[in-house]
Formats: sequence, structure tokens, C-alpha cells
Amino acid sequence: MANLVKIPEVKEQARIAPIEVFPDPKIAMVLTYQHAGAPNIPSVNVGDSVIIGQKIADSKERVSAPVHSPICGKVIKIDDVFNSCNDTTSQAIWIENDGKKTKDKTLTPISESELSTTSNEILIKKIREAGIIGLGGAGFPTHVKLSPPTTSTIKHLIVNATEGEPYDCADERLLIEKTANILKGVKVIRKILGNPKVIIATKATKVAAIPKIQEVFGSEPETEIVAGHYTYQQGDASLLQKAILGYETPPGKRSHEMGTIVQNVATINAVANAIFEGEPLISRVTTLNGDIAQPKNLLVKIGTPISNIINQNNIDTNDINKLVVAGVMMGHAVPTLDTPINKRTSSIIVFSKKRKPDQPTTACIHCSACISSCPVRLHPVLIYDAITKGNFDKAEKLYLKDCIGCGTCSYVCPSRLPLASTIIASKQ
Amino acid sequence: MSNESSSELVVKSAPHISGPMSKNRMMKFTFFALLIITAVSAALWSEVTVTNYMSGATGWNLGLTVVICALIAVGVAVGADFLLHKLVSDSELNIWSAAVFGLIVTDSYTLGLPTMNMSMGPPVEAPAAFIFVALISLIGLVVFKKLQGIAGRKFVNPAAAAKFLVLLPIIGGSFLAIEHLPTSILGVPSLAGPLGAGIAPVGANGMASFATYMTGCFANPLVIPPDPTIESIFSMMMLNKYHGWVGGASSIAVIIVGIALFAIGRKYFKWRITASYFIGAAVMSILMSTVYGDADLLVRLMFTLFIGSSIFLGFFMATDPATTPYTGTGQIIFGIGLAVLTVLIQTYMNFFGGSLLALLIMNLTVPLLDRVGIHKSFGR
Repeated sequence: MANLVKIPEVKEQARIAPIEVFPDPKIAMVLTYQHAGAPNIPSVNVGDSVIIGQKIADSKERVSAPVHSPICGKVIKIDDVFNSCNDTTSQAIWIENDGKKTKDKTLTPISESELSTTSNEILIKKIREAGIIGLGGAGFPTHVKLSPPTTSTIKHLIVNATEGEPYDCADERLLIEKTANILKGVKVIRKILGNPKVIIATKATKVAAIPKIQEVFGSEPETEIVAGHYTYQQGDASLLQKAILGYETPPGKRSHEMGTIVQNVATINAVANAIFEGEPLISRVTTLNGDIAQPKNLLVKIGTPISNIINQNNIDTNDINKLVVAGVMMGHAVPTLDTPINKRTSSIIVFSKKRKPDQPTTACIHCSACISSCPVRLHPVLIYDAITKGNFDKAEKLYLKDCIGCGTCSYVCPSRLPLASTIIASKQ
Repeated sequence: MSNESSSELVVKSAPHISGPMSKNRMMKFTFFALLIITAVSAALWSEVTVTNYMSGATGWNLGLTVVICALIAVGVAVGADFLLHKLVSDSELNIWSAAVFGLIVTDSYTLGLPTMNMSMGPPVEAPAAFIFVALISLIGLVVFKKLQGIAGRKFVNPAAAAKFLVLLPIIGGSFLAIEHLPTSILGVPSLAGPLGAGIAPVGANGMASFATYMTGCFANPLVIPPDPTIESIFSMMMLNKYHGWVGGASSIAVIIVGIALFAIGRKYFKWRITASYFIGAAVMSILMSTVYGDADLLVRLMFTLFIGSSIFLGFFMATDPATTPYTGTGQIIFGIGLAVLTVLIQTYMNFFGGSLLALLIMNLTVPLLDRVGIHKSFGR
């Protein structure tokens, strides 16, 4: 594949920082809509008491995933806050922490020995009830992904451990510290999918994680470990399949139609937690990185305000120019530090005011760098030109909808044109 | 929870980091590449001080002429850019771009006095050359860079268009085509006939061989020219020519600097045009050699590829991003079209700087070429 741009990683410090458990918030703001699919409706009211892991919002639609209370306490407000999943404000349930540690036991765990005798339907139901979604960024409900039509034969399960975002290390730390748990999650998914071949795809640069993976997965049947020199763009499921299995998934087709399921390591870890610990998705590992003295990886409760993390880590709020969540290439700049952590917050990147400001947008110089850099062979500048002229028919003919939103076109553009954001906005 | 600083956070769409290449950086790289080429030309040509054949009066040192031309062209372009920025509110200030433009004007300007020429017109000599360079730079920047830019797209290469416009009144006279006729005072053997090395006439031209003309035209006018052989003209065409486009004085310098620039910014500089142009020009040259039965195929090949208007234009003007196609296929067709037209114009119009006209024609095809090579996306 010729069109892959290398984007320098800024992970030296973060990748060696062990996962720290971040203190529970005094007030959690749990967004009711964190997944891709139908929105949830709160199942609690203001004044209700909730316990850890209690379901607080859900939907009857298939493509949805419930959310749970990350703490014990009382619902004090249901109001809108900024939701970085979709760059807008949306409903959140505000819970005041009472300091208790009472856990909801609705999600019953099973032992590893019970896995083979537990039906796939029960496993999938548990995954659904745990509220697990794709934690690599897409947010697609995992139980739906793991329920391909019976006509699809899954030959490969690719464990996506590439973590392409240049500042993110949360998955890398999970690979190092939760390797055995990830293996347990892989076994669950493999059983559900009919025992396909497992391919652990990671980057050769994850030098501390690779021996751990080899140690834990090395003797597993039908398991291959691939530590390649993948670029950021190859974190995308389609591009990763191309890199590993050699085929291109046609736009509109799902991976399962090609006989492959791709799962992110954090998602697999969450599956293991749900099945064997009975723990719904109420926390996740997020990387705190950027222009800060000490980058970290934090196990943080969903709903924790980012301001808590900033303050706890003695980061001068007056020096923050921009705060980006879920990756510098595809993530979102939040308008307020009171934005809550959600299931898709893989990282929090601090941009200091001391950093060189972004260069202003200037007229296109027709260099074609965006065209020669697009990993899915689009013509970004031509699509952008068509969109800005209101010619959406032309934009569609130029395969507007095939954009994977990786942002590479904007990254390489010497005129700093907002190519990716314009195309993504039009695509939606 | 904290509300402090909330309203001050910058909200911008992804991606939140940018690649190292910016427009200014591209222009800086290009500027320094052109500066090296200009400096090499000035250094090589500083060996020659022009002497008027008729009067015997000492004229300007050719190297100094190059330096002054460069200072004038860059100064006029940057000054005009700055003035326009001050006078017109929405005129973007592009100092580096203007400086690059000034050097391209200089390097695509024709200087030098061929030894056999006794009646060459003023454009190739200082001080008249200074006025022409200033005019080309001014008209090029104001009309072909700025005014064209208002249309949303530049249709023709600004430096090429400005040179063509300014020199149009004399282009058919002493400067170019007519003087190159075999029957004219320069007595240049036509390319539309067999070519060969050596002193003896070749084929039906009944004139000195083309290599003899090349030696007379491009060799150091102050020393006795060497006998034209394949080796001597190769050495001359590659290392140092004393007449023609400033930027093409040393082909090897252009090749080294050009390739280095492409290597630095492979995704940003349209190297496919350069590659397809030179391959196309070589194929066309061999084709013409076959058609006319050249005694020495390499004579035509070296002339086609390495005269200043070919080697400099192929690397630094044909690749101007704004006036060339977006798609890879479009760029290859553009390069081949440029090569075909250049050879045809040189052969049948006796216009030895024909690549300039060919470039302008090909520039006009770009809106069409942009529709070519729209490949299917991933998975389709």
C-alpha cells in the first residue's frame, strides 16, 4: 500500500507509565448516549439512589448499549453536558457519590471452566447488559458485532492492538498489564464466533508489550502474533485487514461478510471483565498526555469530569490552550474542562498555550499531497472543492462516503485546509 | 468541578496536529534550491565578460548580470507582493512565494552571447536585460499570480506567461524563431533534418553539423571552441553552457538539486511530471532521429534534454503545483504532452525555447486532465 503517511508518535513517557487507579469522582456525569446506534432513555429519576454497576439508561433497540452508574450515590440532576462522542451537548445523569462501595450484582460472572458450557446467547446477552461498545473509538455495540448472520462464517478474529493514535498508550498498557485478562476475553469471543483463527496485530514499536503477548498467547492454538511496522492509518479495521489478510473490504460491507471480526484490545478486556467478573463497563483506561510534566495512564470511572483529572495532576488550567479527547488525529477538542469521561475517551491530550499556534488556513496550492496520502485512495481536495461549491452529487461521485475520517489529508495539507472535517461533516 | 478557563479553550476540528510541511516551508525549500542553481550559474558565467563583436567595447560580466537580474526579479516580486498586500485588503502576503517567483523569472531568462552571433537583440545583454527581467517579474506577479488567483485557479504558469507576453513583440525576430532558420543570419541547421556530430555537414542541410552549431552557441565564447564530438558536447551540455536560460547553465546542478528537492518533499512536488516529461522528450527525440536518419542520435537527444529551457523547465516550471493536474495520471499525461509539444515546436517552428510555449498550452489542458485518473476508492 503506497499511500500511508507516517505520523510521529509522542509516547515515550506515557508508554512506560503503569496504569494508576484514579479516585472516584464526587459527582459523576454519566452520558446516556455514548455508543453508535439508538439513544438510551434514563431508567432513574432525580432523587433515586443508585449503586455501582446499576443500569441507569438503556434502549429497546438492538443497536444500543446501556450505561451504568460508576459510583454509589444519589441522582441529583439529569441535564445536558458536552458529549465528546458526537461533539455536541447531550443528556447526562448526575450522581453524587456517597462514598459507599455497594455493587449491583445483576451481571452474574461465570468461571473460566464454565465458558465451554455457557451458550453463546447468554454470553452475548451478558456483553450487551454490560454496555460494552468498541473502545477503539467507533463505539459500535459489541454484542451486535459479535452476532453476525448465521450465513457468515468467521475465519479470522483480529485483535487490534495497533493503537495508531500518536499520543495514546492505554491499549499498550493493557497489553502489558492485563495480558492474561485479554486472553480470557479472546477465548470468550472466539467461542462466540465459532473458534476462528486469532491474529494479534500490534506494532513493532510496542517493545514492552510484544514479549508479554508472546508469553501469554504463544502457546494458544490457532493464534498468530503479528508485530508489524503499521502506520497510524492501519489502525482502521479495513486497512488492518488489508495489511494482514491482503483483501480490501468493499465500502458498505461489514468485516464479517469478509469472514473477519476485528476487536480492539480494550474492548476484549472489557468483555473479560463482564463475563468473568460480572463487571459492567463503568471504567476505562485513558492516557493523559500532551504538554504536561508527567504523562500517565489512568483507570478512570466513566462520568468523571476531566477537570478532576486536570486538577488532581496539578496541571495549570490557565496554561491550557486546547484539550483534546480520544486522540489527536480523530478526537475532539472539548469546549469545557467539565466534559465527562465516556466509554470512548481513550486519551486526554493537553495542548499548552506555549505550544506553537496552529498555522492559519490559506488558499490551496494544488500540491496534491492529500491525494497521494489518502489511505483509501480518495481525492480529498476535489471532494472538498465540490462540497464548498455545494455540488454534493459530484462529491458523492468522488466517493465522499468512503472516507474513513482518519484526518491524514488535513495533516499533510501545507495550506492547512479543513479537508477532513469538511468531508466528515458532509458525509454525515 | 471547575469552570475556570472553560470559555478559553480552543475548539477546533480534528486532526489537532499538522504535518511538518507548510506552504511557507515548501516555498523556503524551493527558494533555496533555486538559489543554489542561480548561484552555480552566476559562478560559472562569471568567467565571461561580454565583448561587443562590432565595436569591441567591454560589456557586463555575465555572472554579475545573473546576480543583478536575480536581485531585480526577486526585489520587484517581493515588493509588488508587499504593496498589493498593503493596498488590497484580501491580498495574501506570500513573501517566500514571491521570492521563489522572482528566482524562477531569473532562471528562465535567456542571457549570454553566442560566439557566432553578431546581431543579437538587447534582451540577452545587460543592461537591457535588467529592464526585461523587471517587467516580467512585475507583470508575472501582478497579472499572472495575483489576478489569476482571484479566479480561484491559475490557468497558466505565471513566469512562463509573463516572459512570453513581454518578449512576444520580438519573439519572431532576433530573439528566437526567425533567427534560427537555416537561411537567417544565425544559419542554424534545422532540427527537421538529419543531425550529426563533427564539423562536416550532415545530410541534405548543406550546412555545418548541428553539433557545430551547439558548440558555437553554448561553449565559452572567449576561448576557441573544441571540435564538436559526442564527448565534448555531452560535457558542455551537462556541465556548463554559456548561453540560454540562466537556470540551465549547468544541467547536472539542476538534476542534483531537483532530485534532492523531490526527495525532501516527495508528496508535495509533482515529480511525475518531470519524469514523464524527460522520458517523453527522450522518446520523441529518438523518434525524430529515426524519421530524419540522424548520423548521431545522441546529438538530438542531448539538445532536447539538456538545453536550459528543457532541463530547468522540466524540473522547476512544469511542476508548478498551481498550474498542473491533481491526479497522478493527469500529471503523467501532462508531462508527456509537454514533451511532445516541445519537440514539435523546436523542430518545426525553429523555436528553441519551445518548451515555454508548450508549457502554456499544456497548462490550459489542466481542467480537462483533472478529470482523468480519478481512481476508484479502497475496496471498489
